[in-house]
Amino acid sequence: MREEIINTKNQAIAQITETKDLQEIERLRIEYLGRNGKIAYFIKKIKDIKPGERKEIGILINETKNTITKLLASQKNRIKQSIREWFDPTIPGEKIEIGHLHLITQIIEEIAYVFEKIGFIRVRYPEVEWDWFAFGSLNFPKDHPARDEWETFFIDAKPHPLYGNMLLTPHTSSGQVREMLRAKKPPIRMINIAKCYRRQSDISHNPMFHQFEGLVIDKGINITHLKGTLDYFAKATFGENIKTRIRPYHFQFTEPSFEVDFSCTLCQGKGCKLCKEGWLEVGGAGMVHPYVLKAGKIDPKKYTGFAFGWGVERILMMKPNLNIPDLRQIYSTNLEYLKQF
Amino acid sequence: MNITISDNWIREFLETPAKPNEIAKYVSLCGPSIERFQKINDDTVYHIEITTNRIDTFSVYGFAREVSAILPRFKIPAKLKPYEINKNPKIEEDLNFTIIGNDKLVKRTMGVVLTDIQNWETPSWMEKRLISSGLRSLNAVVDITNYVMLEVGHPTHAFDYDRISSKKFIIRESKKGETITTFDGKTYQLKGGDIVFDDGDGNIVDLPGIIGTQNSVVTNNTKRVFFFIDNNNPAKIRSTSMSLAIRTLAASINEKGVDPELGEIAIYKGIELFQKICKAKVSSRIFDNYSNPYKERSVRISKNFIDQSLGVKLNKEEISKYLTSLEFKPLWQKDYLLVKIPSFRALDITIPEDLVEEIARIYGYHNLPSKLMSGDLPDPLYKSRFKFEYTVKNIIRAFGGVEIYTLSLVPFNFTDQKALKLTNPLGKETEYLRTSLRLSLIEAYYENKNTAEEFHLFEMANVYLPKNNNLPDEKMQIAGIFCNYNYRKAKGIIESVLKELNIDATFTQKDNKYFQPSKGLMIKNKNDCLGILGILENPELIYYEFDIEKLYKYYKPYTSFKSISKYPPQIEDLTLILPDRTKVGELVQSIKSFNRIISEVEIKDIYQNAYTFRIKYQDPHKTLNDEEIKNLRIKLLHFLKEKYAAILKE
Repeated sequence: MREEIINTKNQAIAQITETKDLQEIERLRIEYLGRNGKIAYFIKKIKDIKPGERKEIGILINETKNTITKLLASQKNRIKQSIREWFDPTIPGEKIEIGHLHLITQIIEEIAYVFEKIGFIRVRYPEVEWDWFAFGSLNFPKDHPARDEWETFFIDAKPHPLYGNMLLTPHTSSGQVREMLRAKKPPIRMINIAKCYRRQSDISHNPMFHQFEGLVIDKGINITHLKGTLDYFAKATFGENIKTRIRPYHFQFTEPSFEVDFSCTLCQGKGCKLCKEGWLEVGGAGMVHPYVLKAGKIDPKKYTGFAFGWGVERILMMKPNLNIPDLRQIYSTNLEYLKQF
Repeated sequence: MNITISDNWIREFLETPAKPNEIAKYVSLCGPSIERFQKINDDTVYHIEITTNRIDTFSVYGFAREVSAILPRFKIPAKLKPYEINKNPKIEEDLNFTIIGNDKLVKRTMGVVLTDIQNWETPSWMEKRLISSGLRSLNAVVDITNYVMLEVGHPTHAFDYDRISSKKFIIRESKKGETITTFDGKTYQLKGGDIVFDDGDGNIVDLPGIIGTQNSVVTNNTKRVFFFIDNNNPAKIRSTSMSLAIRTLAASINEKGVDPELGEIAIYKGIELFQKICKAKVSSRIFDNYSNPYKERSVRISKNFIDQSLGVKLNKEEISKYLTSLEFKPLWQKDYLLVKIPSFRALDITIPEDLVEEIARIYGYHNLPSKLMSGDLPDPLYKSRFKFEYTVKNIIRAFGGVEIYTLSLVPFNFTDQKALKLTNPLGKETEYLRTSLRLSLIEAYYENKNTAEEFHLFEMANVYLPKNNNLPDEKMQIAGIFCNYNYRKAKGIIESVLKELNIDATFTQKDNKYFQPSKGLMIKNKNDCLGILGILENPELIYYEFDIEKLYKYYKPYTSFKSISKYPPQIEDLTLILPDRTKVGELVQSIKSFNRIISEVEIKDIYQNAYTFRIKYQDPHKTLNDEEIKNLRIKLLHFLKEKYAAILKE
């Protein structure tokens, strides 16, 4: 009988551990532990055993019963746990809306950061300005034809006895002499980012726009430093493969004056619809005219400098694949547009 | 100012194997910018941008000179041919005329009478060139005047000799109110001080340098032409042309200061063409009144200055070569260079820096190295508000605000106080400088008014408050509107923004002309007003506006650390039934200040008149027991019942 019990135990262990469903467990429980089950059968049979062996067989039956009971319970749990709760982790998330900073704010911060890294001080000067700061101190004689390109809005106000008419500054260059007068003494490294206004409105012009003006004045500043600064800005903003070049131009307040081009940010200089044979015009630059230094009370015999003033919108539009077709679109207040950036 | 010139016209004066694309590419790097070039039949047309200081290149010959100086730097040979002209035409008659000049108004006056005009038809080669330069071909006489202007660079004019009965020109300034009728039949009233030609009887017969008048201009019946060159005072031309808004090509050239030396070339070239094309005879002496001819000036520059400005050292021969190619006459005197300036650059080259530009551009800017400057940094401790402004924008953005940029220029009905007005606006819609951001934000709301979801637009920008005899106060504001927002949520955002900035602020109910009665708040720090918040009249939107300078004043980048209590708080929710018109903000303040162990009070829920407050009790020195809380609660409820008639909901 001893052998029969051990066989039953082994058989039960094998059957229970292989079971994958709860009904089968119940059937096995009845088969082994039920009123007419195998354990009950062994217990009934115990009276047929020789009295000397009864105790030992009794212990074995008991042990077998315990083992089967435990195993049934644990297998039952295992089967229960293995039934997966249904859950869809791919359900779209609840919309948590963050707001949006305007593209102009984003690009201004980027430009400011690039220049602040090389020691430029960010400043801001009046949008409503006197003629003298916007033109006179920058070597534009009164009624000079060169003023035509700065299609200026004038304010209906009494002219200043020294500084002339009140106007909306058409360029950030009006901050040049203000910065010289503020700093009093070189070195000067200024980055002036501000709103400007010109009397024009079409696909590439908005009457209000933004410029950033760089101004560097120190001993021994020359064209190579201007080129270095342009190169640095271009690479920091558009990537290390961008090339720059300067071409002759004319501004009243710089001598020599340059037009600055960057290699096309889209086609990398190969030539495409966006650019002119691989180059994009960025804006003007030049070596500060001695007349302007004098207006800012800086001795042009001791100090030289360079300056550049470019459109913030221009730099933004040059970002590859931004694809804003019209400068005026930048200033749209349509939410569908604003939420894209 | 742009000029378009045909390639084959340029090559009349320029010997070079350069292809048009090479000319366009290299000249743009070192000289005038060639915006584009296009092939037309067997010719190419260049679109060239000429800057105001280089009117000498606004001509075929002047441009050819630039090209001849630049191409050799790119190893392409180029030679400028001398301008050949017959200065001794055969004079067949001596018709008389009188010109009474005025040196202050006209620097040089030249004139000649040409008679026996037999042909009025413009030859096709001339017509083609004029058309490629964007001019219309009218008749041979007028076309010759334009052709000479484009080729030589000096504007010219043709009168009908027979229509000037007095045969007399007196050059004088106009009197205010005098009128002229231009050749195209338009009448203008002069402002006074304009240069005019008077026929001696008080009739104005020309507005020189700008436009011809109807009473003297050539017609197809003209038999005798008075060919005329006048080199006028550029400032006078500018002033007259701008005031009358007559912007002819001649005026645009003359206002920039044309070299009077070109007058002689222009008149002989004109005579040659009249003889050749019109078969005309020269029937007068060649009049020339040029009392102050150009005296050659020099500019002195040191080698050291050139080297320092360029950042590289060039040798003296190189420098001389570049300058000579542009027709300067350089002469080295030890380490100084004395440069004689040709007449056509007299206005442009006056200081050493001007010469640096000439040397550097011909050397080639692309050949200069590029490097960042060394040297001291300017005041790195310079204080500014930019970072703060960006922080404010970022906080509002984090709470769902969408930033907009709107135009500072607004219509009159956007101004609700004294505002600055433009004298030359683009239109009525953009005539004033705004004094508030409110209406711009409302306008932006209207653009999006069909949006069903809540949205919050904000802008940070200047408003312009006029001052007496000074520039306006440019006040930076942050303002926004909440649309489809629940009032408590909107106010909560403003409270959170201020909290993020660590600004102590109190909200006081205060009527404001923008807001509906009772629906406005003033936000203050002590007695200093920071801004406003409330519900607008129309449209019914929640609007706020803050003065950035004030926010910056009270802003703290961080607060002081408060030690974390070792003793746990007890938190409970109390639901109170409040009578109508209870100011709940005030009530919350009363609960907060009722006892020091009440550390926080928040509104958790509102249902009709039932307000559920979540109250946090915490003592920094010990753990509170239920008994203590119970006693405090009883006192609190008693107090609230007395003061606000608030009853605990059981």
